[in-house]
Amino acid sequence: MNLENEKIDIKNEIEILREDCLRPTRTFSRNTQIWIGSLLVIIGWGLYCYIHQLRQGLGVTAMRNYVSWGLYISTFVFFIGISHSGTLVSAILRITKQEWRRPITRSAELLTFVSLCFGGIQPIIDLGRPDRIFNLVLFGRLQSPLIWDIISICTYFCGSTVFLFLPMIPDMALCRDKLVVCDTRYKKFKKWLYTFMAIGWKGTKSQWHRLEKTMTIMTIIIIPVAVSVHTVVSYIFAMTLRPGWDSTVFGPYFVVGALYSGSACVILGMAAFRKLYHLEKYITPRHFDLIGRVVLALTLIYAYMNLNEYWIPAYKMATAEGHLLNDLFSGSYSTAFWTCQFGTVLLPILIMSFPKGRKITPLVITCIIIAAGAWVKRYLIVVPTLLHPFMPIQEVPGTWSTYFPNYVEFSVTAACLAGIFLVITLFSKLFPMMAVWEVEEGIQIEHDKQAVIELREQREVAEAKQMKEPKAKLITPITNTNN
Amino acid sequence: MAEENNKNENNAGTPSENAGRRNFLKYGALTAGLTLVGGSLLKVFADNKEQGEKMKVLSSDGKVYEATCNQLQEFRPAPVSNAEARKGIPNKKFVMVFDLSKCDGCKKCTEACQKMHYTESDREWIKVFTMHDAKAEAPYYLPKPCFHCDNPTCTKVCPVNATFKREDGIVLVDNERCIGCRMCMAACPYSTRFFNWSHPNSDQTAAIGNLPYSPEQSVPRRMGTVEKCDFCPDMLRQGKMPACVTGCPMDVIYFGDQNEDAVTNASGVTVKLSQFLEQNAAYRQLEELGTEPRVYYLPPKNRKYPAPDLKNIEKEKKEKKHIDMDMSSMQM
Amino acid sequence: MKPKSTLDCRYFLKRLTLLITIIGLFSVIVAAQDQSQSQGKTEATITMSYFKNADMRRTAVALVKAKVNGKFAPVKNVKVNFYLENDKTQKLLEFVKTDNKGHATILLQNDLPLDDSLYFTIIAKIEADPLYEDAQEQIHYTDANIILSLNPHDTTRLVTAKVTELGKDGKELPVNGAEVKFYVQRLFGIMPASEDYAVSTDEKGEASFTFPKIIPGDTAGSYTVVARMEDNAQFGNVETKAPTSWGTVLAVEKDPFPRALWEPYAPLPLVMTISILFGGVWFVYFYLFFQIWKIKKDPIETAKS
Repeated sequence: MNLENEKIDIKNEIEILREDCLRPTRTFSRNTQIWIGSLLVIIGWGLYCYIHQLRQGLGVTAMRNYVSWGLYISTFVFFIGISHSGTLVSAILRITKQEWRRPITRSAELLTFVSLCFGGIQPIIDLGRPDRIFNLVLFGRLQSPLIWDIISICTYFCGSTVFLFLPMIPDMALCRDKLVVCDTRYKKFKKWLYTFMAIGWKGTKSQWHRLEKTMTIMTIIIIPVAVSVHTVVSYIFAMTLRPGWDSTVFGPYFVVGALYSGSACVILGMAAFRKLYHLEKYITPRHFDLIGRVVLALTLIYAYMNLNEYWIPAYKMATAEGHLLNDLFSGSYSTAFWTCQFGTVLLPILIMSFPKGRKITPLVITCIIIAAGAWVKRYLIVVPTLLHPFMPIQEVPGTWSTYFPNYVEFSVTAACLAGIFLVITLFSKLFPMMAVWEVEEGIQIEHDKQAVIELREQREVAEAKQMKEPKAKLITPITNTNN
Repeated sequence: MAEENNKNENNAGTPSENAGRRNFLKYGALTAGLTLVGGSLLKVFADNKEQGEKMKVLSSDGKVYEATCNQLQEFRPAPVSNAEARKGIPNKKFVMVFDLSKCDGCKKCTEACQKMHYTESDREWIKVFTMHDAKAEAPYYLPKPCFHCDNPTCTKVCPVNATFKREDGIVLVDNERCIGCRMCMAACPYSTRFFNWSHPNSDQTAAIGNLPYSPEQSVPRRMGTVEKCDFCPDMLRQGKMPACVTGCPMDVIYFGDQNEDAVTNASGVTVKLSQFLEQNAAYRQLEELGTEPRVYYLPPKNRKYPAPDLKNIEKEKKEKKHIDMDMSSMQM
Repeated sequence: MKPKSTLDCRYFLKRLTLLITIIGLFSVIVAAQDQSQSQGKTEATITMSYFKNADMRRTAVALVKAKVNGKFAPVKNVKVNFYLENDKTQKLLEFVKTDNKGHATILLQNDLPLDDSLYFTIIAKIEADPLYEDAQEQIHYTDANIILSLNPHDTTRLVTAKVTELGKDGKELPVNGAEVKFYVQRLFGIMPASEDYAVSTDEKGEASFTFPKIIPGDTAGSYTVVARMEDNAQFGNVETKAPTSWGTVLAVEKDPFPRALWEPYAPLPLVMTISILFGGVWFVYFYLFFQIWKIKKDPIETAKS
């Protein structure tokens, strides 16, 4: 064993890693330009529709007096749900010291940050009077679940921003230092940005110590905040008396649903970056297999929650709730409902239970289904309840008693989704999509482990020798390797 | 008297219109054409006359004024301040009682309300439902205003205190503060609230757009805000009953102050509230929800009108997929 | 037989055509008539009543009903002319349009000219109305007063109403056998004071009534009692009011806007829970912000030392 060689090996490996991570930030291909351009077109059209809605009122949407919340609020719940991905993958895996988390934390945290931004603006898009938004500050009532939402989402937003930023500090320093060598476009801007974001990172011992301490605290505090967010999001429904919403299981149900759809989206992000930025070396099928197991576990919990949410009232069939359930099980929403239940709960469980199903391609397909299904599920939570009030719907215009989002809602929602993609794309063009230092650390640990194994092997060989030569018993083993 | 004239709903249709309608059906196009021409001429004539004609008005202090009809339509007393409107009328607890045995589903209450608040026809602050709780049970009419609950779910969830509960029990909406989140609409189990999805129509803006706003009058309405039945607090301040109460020709609706233990109907019959509720086995809608409504119902026992025709409701249910609380349709 | 039957048939057909023509013509005539009728006038009736209120205001009310869809129903916007009849001459007082309840109300002057038997006559007429047939109705009443005697602070809650009418010599004469009803004034109407609230006057013209013990009053415990003669054949409707303090005292709500979920201010436990939970989180956040700031400062400090 040659320690010198070993060091050189690691150094080379780390150099290659750094290069692989920073490469996407230096290129701006034609395809990327077309992609960003088309996203901007979608956003532009969505903005136009939103301005139309601002001027003419929410009447331009398909929402009417019975279905007073529609696609916007469903999307709100979905996006906020996606934002749980960062917490789960990053924080929970960090706390449990899962080594395989290292290459995927950055994309998960980014997904949290972005989906929270665009989820948070959904209720504002849905407001009848966005010009009076400051009334929330001037006259805010702590009794309202909406105020809890605002407090909680703001807290989570700040937390997840810090949570995204903290592990970026050493990487920013890396970018800053590497930038000088390489010739890139927007060099001045990038230099300023990296320097600013690196906040004077020199990699001193005390800085590392402080960073690790801060990270640990953040990791712990972000988990309850994340849970609180989706709990209070569920409270805007659960705090009403409406059939289908008036449920005590809604808090955990939403949290689990959020984690499940969020981690599915993390897989999609992983697969995309792996493919586009050629990170196959770092994000391996093993990673997919492991996170696939996590999604499987969450899907099972989610299935269990669904059982509670639907079987308990279905057994009792209380008047108003019974009508809602009839409509979901065998009425106008039955196709969507059963497709959703089978497609996003049963099917993923079946697929992901087998190692072959956790291979990259089937897993990605499953996750696309899960993400889309989770969105439809939010819609199925929001809309059918509103169509089943306690008082009968009688003698109202036909548009009141049916609902399907119209082009305005679809356009604005599509623009928000495009916005998410745009921010992620721009982010990935500016910053490395893997936490470089974390992966470096992982390589180091891997090598250390390798060293330990080698040491152990050596010792075993030595011991074997000793067995053969009993006289040499006096010689103690080389070191106590209890790592 | 004249004030009331304007405030209230025009209950009675003019007979010429009704007669015209009958003839149209009876004698075909020629006659109908004549009627229509005649009718429209008559209408033009009547309109001209009405616009120009002066009316004598007896004010509350006993003085007699003269005014044209148009002027009277626009008459509204100056609204109270926002702070006052949020406080309510002191030492009162308003309560409403519906005697369902008298209700024949004529919807005059809705009309009166819509006239009073300049609402469009699809927005029924007081709505008359045709109810049929179970197959074996008798169908009946159920007029439903806002229940002004004592444990109001809508008011609990309002993030900006735009909807509020007053000292006198009334729940109002301040459309100058409402941000249009529609949380209250989602929270109300009685589907009482309406949203101004678009700009109020231009006729309405012309008629009342420039009036000073007070939550007590609910007008002028504004796009992007919520509105609902308000128990006509501006009328209550004048010592008059809400529009639906005075507009009911069947004397179904009783209104009064619970502190006085008395409710009065459109004919001026005043009864002792506690006794009235007790003797008639009064109940409240969806009592099990614990919303504590301020509106009571007397069961439709010994009805004085023919039973509601359920065909329309059945048809509507089929065509528009409306669902009501009819348990008989349930299969599980 | 056969040819005859054909002839018969033809004859019959001719007759039938004629009949149809006649019926057709007739129906056109009828239609025209009906048309003229609808453009003409509807039958209307007037019912009149007379009120003498507690504030001595006298009003005459005419209720106009007309045949709408076969039923008599109150009609609005009908011009009613009120006349005062005296010495067989009629003098137009005023015209009033009916409100949406079909009522036309006029305020009468206090010194109405009376006839020999001290009665006055008011006539309400619908005249030359474009929509309704002419109709008229009159009232014929004499003046009466109710005087209430009661002690507002009395615990017996006894009210004595004395009904008097004006004699020919100008003296007030007691009225015997007039029915007086006792009410409690409420916000929107008058409520019968008890089950048997009607008392007839004795030969002194007095009717006594004891008010029930529990009647909700205002915050001072006071309410107004009302004594009325209703639809009296001689006097019409006569009413008097008097304040008392016999009612149960309404407790003023000490705190009409308590801290509650449905009030502007949140209950303290809720405020505290939210503040502690999120305050705690934000406290940690600020500590973390401080740490990040320290990360920035660290190299400088180490360089110094």
